[in-house]
Amino acid sequence: MSEPLVRLRGLEKRYGRRLALAGVDLTLEDRQIFGVVGPDGAGKSTLLRALAGLLEIEAREATVLGFDLRGDVTALKARIGYVPQTFSLHRDLTVEENLRFTARLHRLREPEFTRRAGALLERTGLAPFTARATGALSGGMKQKLAVANALLPEPALLVLDEPTAGVDVMARAEIWALLEEARRGALVVLSTSYLDEAAASDRLAYLDGGRVVATGTPAELRAATALELYRAWADDARAAARAARALPYVQGARATGRFARVEVRRDRSPGPRQVVRDLVALGAGVQVAEPAEIDMESTLLALAAGAGR
Amino acid sequence: MSDAIIRTRGLTKRFGDFTAVDGLSLGVPRGSIFAFLGANGSGKSTTIRMLIGLLSPTAGTVEVDGIDVIHHPRRVRDRIGYMGQKVSLYRGLTLRENVEFYAGLYGLAGEDLERRWGGLRERFGLGAAEREEPEDLPAGIRQRAGLALATLHRPRLLFLDEPTAGVDVQSRGLFWELIQDEAQAGVTVFVTTHFLEEVDYCDWVCFIHAGRLIADDAPEALRSRWAEGYRIDVELPAAERGEAARRLAAAGMAAAETPAGLEVTARALGRAELAALHGLGEGARLRIEQPPMTDVFRRVLAGNGAHA
Repeated sequence: MSEPLVRLRGLEKRYGRRLALAGVDLTLEDRQIFGVVGPDGAGKSTLLRALAGLLEIEAREATVLGFDLRGDVTALKARIGYVPQTFSLHRDLTVEENLRFTARLHRLREPEFTRRAGALLERTGLAPFTARATGALSGGMKQKLAVANALLPEPALLVLDEPTAGVDVMARAEIWALLEEARRGALVVLSTSYLDEAAASDRLAYLDGGRVVATGTPAELRAATALELYRAWADDARAAARAARALPYVQGARATGRFARVEVRRDRSPGPRQVVRDLVALGAGVQVAEPAEIDMESTLLALAAGAGR
Repeated sequence: MSDAIIRTRGLTKRFGDFTAVDGLSLGVPRGSIFAFLGANGSGKSTTIRMLIGLLSPTAGTVEVDGIDVIHHPRRVRDRIGYMGQKVSLYRGLTLRENVEFYAGLYGLAGEDLERRWGGLRERFGLGAAEREEPEDLPAGIRQRAGLALATLHRPRLLFLDEPTAGVDVQSRGLFWELIQDEAQAGVTVFVTTHFLEEVDYCDWVCFIHAGRLIADDAPEALRSRWAEGYRIDVELPAAERGEAARRLAAAGMAAAETPAGLEVTARALGRAELAALHGLGEGARLRIEQPPMTDVFRRVLAGNGAHA
């Protein structure tokens, strides 16, 4: 068996007194889209920066693409594409100039540059804007360019910190298409706060308090969730949600459109049939109640509440 | 829509040759949660700036809470609360000091301020954060503080520009509960977001593309127009299926037999459809599949010639 692409044991990062990463254990065997999720302040950005070889860290073991993060990482950095949370390309340069700048850093030859940049610009719909100053692009176009720019040197590891924050649904789909293509040649590690992106990742790590609390495929994490989810369909879903909160075993209820999402802790649940009966009996305009499959939202909320372990 | 708190007619903004907002006519019902959506660069922020009197339109009219915004931009700003994606809290001041600063701008002080802030602090869970400086606070708490400050002077209309961007799912849920409480209390909430599942928390949704309105409807109405519709899996004893299918058909739903029961499709799930499903009785086990909003908006955009 070949060596895993990433292997971290007891990874720590300290900023003054604050321990941003408090002993991360993580093994990534092969190429995939790996999502890092968790609450604000969990250490997601720090972990991504550490993986990109940008931080001095302490660890019992920390190898990325076969390089030890505790040693000289100059050669490693040449094989990594990193997209930070805040846009960091040169705003005064045009789209093409930015790409050319990256190509020079990586000593890409002109024919290679032309071929790869051309393909990326085409894929991202940025081809008509090559002469535009990067600072004048819309938010979605900026992020597409940032990802394209990171992909230009064909990195073996692509690290992206919330690459789609504040990006519209179409541009997000385009960025994901790029990432899915990149996965064929690279390990893609990203953080996201979009539920659909977490669900679309091959595997996930849930980080909290500087530690990896859970890892697995989205389906595995969903299955491990100690919650049951129900939907109570009603004319006035907000009234239904308020009424549902009064049931003694209900953990939380929130109106969304025509139904109230009702979460029940599995260890307190009287069973689906009884819950459905109780919800319909609430009055509050509830016409139909049904058990629903645990979704990414409930999975993450349960992990946050410590009910997913 | 006679009781509109915001009304624009033919609102247009050009920057040189570029038309950012192109003849936009909007009506925002008083007391509603109104989602204002669009792709990056579609003209959303330009529109909001015109609505709150920070930018004057090239053409068209804007009326907010009965005030002609073009002629009296300042009067509008006293009646609204605004919160942007980057919450504007002063660095170096604690949250409490920020509150006093903002309250001062609105002439809120002394006992009035204590009462108002005390209520908000409790409802928004900001007690522990009060003595902290904003840059030390997690994003979710900073956003709640931003909302508390935007509502400090009891505005009747709240503009929230991507209030949940970069905030984790737990904080987003809490945040929307607060927004729904505000609406319950009669405040109109004008909100933008890129989390499309949040559209279902709203009463009405407008979608703009290239400065023009391409959708203007209730979320469920959009869903029934642009998505494939609902799929409902009904587990039902064989003997009851025929009668059940007839009843569902009477309510406008198509039902096909499956090994375990019926597969039902419905354009929408309104009161009549839900009543028909309710009528199937306790023996029926339902599983309802709702088309996700993300799909709805991809289709709205594709249907309007947007680049996919």
